[in-house]
Amino acid sequence: MSDPTTPPPVPAGFAPLRIPGWEDFDPARARGGGLRGHWRGFTTAVRIGWATEANWTDPLLFFIYSVAKPVSAALILVVMLEVIGGATSRQYRSFVVVGSALWAMVFSGIAGLAWSILEDRERYRMIKYVYVSPADFLVVMTGRAVARVAVGAMGTIITLAVGVVLLGVPFDPFRVDWPLLAVVTVLGMVAIVSVGIVLGAVVMQTRQEAWQYPEAVAGALFLVSGAVFPLAVLPFAAQVVGLLTPLAWWIEGSRRALLPDSVSSIGGEGSAWLDLTGTVAPSTPEIVVALLVTGAAGTLAAGLAFRSSERRAKDRGLLDQTTGS
Amino acid sequence: MADPAFSRAGPGRRLRPELFVGQADASPQAAADWSRRRILLTDLRAVRGRAYPRITGLFREKSWLFFEILLPFLTTSAFVFVYRALQAPPEYIGFVVLGGAMTAFWLNVVWMMAAQLYWEKDQGNLELYFAAPMNLMSVLLGMALGGMVMSSTRAVAVLVVASLLYGVSFEVDQWLLLLAVFGLTLAALYGLGMILASLFLMWGREAWHTTQLMVEPVYFVSGLNFPVARLGFIGALAVATIPLAVGLDAMRQLAFAGSQVSLLPPLAEAGILVAMTVLFTLAARWSLRTLERRARIEGRLTMRWQ
Repeated sequence: MSDPTTPPPVPAGFAPLRIPGWEDFDPARARGGGLRGHWRGFTTAVRIGWATEANWTDPLLFFIYSVAKPVSAALILVVMLEVIGGATSRQYRSFVVVGSALWAMVFSGIAGLAWSILEDRERYRMIKYVYVSPADFLVVMTGRAVARVAVGAMGTIITLAVGVVLLGVPFDPFRVDWPLLAVVTVLGMVAIVSVGIVLGAVVMQTRQEAWQYPEAVAGALFLVSGAVFPLAVLPFAAQVVGLLTPLAWWIEGSRRALLPDSVSSIGGEGSAWLDLTGTVAPSTPEIVVALLVTGAAGTLAAGLAFRSSERRAKDRGLLDQTTGS
Repeated sequence: MADPAFSRAGPGRRLRPELFVGQADASPQAAADWSRRRILLTDLRAVRGRAYPRITGLFREKSWLFFEILLPFLTTSAFVFVYRALQAPPEYIGFVVLGGAMTAFWLNVVWMMAAQLYWEKDQGNLELYFAAPMNLMSVLLGMALGGMVMSSTRAVAVLVVASLLYGVSFEVDQWLLLLAVFGLTLAALYGLGMILASLFLMWGREAWHTTQLMVEPVYFVSGLNFPVARLGFIGALAVATIPLAVGLDAMRQLAFAGSQVSLLPPLAEAGILVAMTVLFTLAARWSLRTLERRARIEGRLTMRWQ
């Protein structure tokens, strides 16, 4: 059997077929560049994302835009604690400040990819050109999302700094578990971007109020992630949903690394974790393994959802359909 | 003289839209000489036309039921559970639920009033609005009315479901005043939205970020989940300038009779809302004209994606 990649022999007396002017064309360029090509597409998308997000305005103005939202979100919770007062609220202050600071990054990551798709389709009307470019569509969109996560990370760091300097959050760099923080941050970022990819798959199909979907989804996940209150106060079923979410494990791991004496958002009296495992709170290795497993499952599901949505959008002509939403 | 746009033929007085288009006149001056009635009716049609897609859109793509009702309800629930974790008094749960319902209107004002003309510019519709023979305030009013209907569905759903689920008990002594304050809050909110819409005519990409800036920071200073009086001077300033803050404070007092922490009595806050409504509407009219003129001079009306 002949090798399908080998061109058929040219019959005697005929010159091989050539497209005029394409003599120097290298067919390998049309086959995709493998991992190297993906990396190039990804880094270019990150640069474009950053340029779209950040390089057009005064740095001070951009700084205000980036930190006002997470700092205000933390202040809302701090005032709620102060209004109630008492020992419980003092105990929870660090808990909520760290949780709401981390949430800034979650929101940016979830919204990043969805808004990139909506912007490219509805505002800049570039999505069809991105789609037909040699770079992988998912890789490019993920790059755009990562740029927004970087902006969110800035908000997280500033909110933590405000918490330490102005709100009395205890921070001792010698007590921080830096290796744990590094591991959960990397795994957490992957998990956050995965949720963003799922939402990207959704907004590829939807119109109308799609711009507000990331906020709505982030708000819903806020409930089951233990960001600002321990999961133990939720009904059992909601706690189980939280335990299946990588974000809950990421927040628990980050909080454990930054504030070793903090209350656990997963375990504790009346928690599903206590009922299911018999232990008061998960150990550090359990947190890392749980984050790894739930994050891997989430990433796989996100990839499948995005590919499926991409196919459907192509079939139905949604990629270049500007809807005015 | 009878307006030729109307006919008594047929049952009742009927609008004849064909007379608005391509009618033969003696001169361009005559064609432009519209009666007051015709101007008013054209503006009313513009209001209806701009409100129509927002209301009809509710029935077109049903995914909003999930994203606009269920998920915001879960966000509100998160704050309910914060108070539960702190073993707060029950009325605080009610404060959160009421605040959660009112966020629907604020988000609508920010995203679909303030930023709307900016989106329209990006989509190429703004030129059509300016070229059409109508007052641009009609477009803003149409957006506001459509937005109120849209947001009311979400607000009512959050209020009813959360109240039932979390056992919020309202104690209302003055229903009429409560309804009046609610109506005035919406009027003032959408009046503010009209002012912001005209400001957004001037803005470029920062418009997007400004909408972000007007969510959590405004929630914070408006005391969305706690009595605004707890913020002291910042709270007082918010009550004097942000309809959401003053409206929520008044509604909390009226919906939870006996609620102790408030800045002013509900009647005084209703007065502030009346003043805000009048002031914002007049200011919107002035700013729309002024900024439209300035945007024309600076060539910003047709400049996209800058």
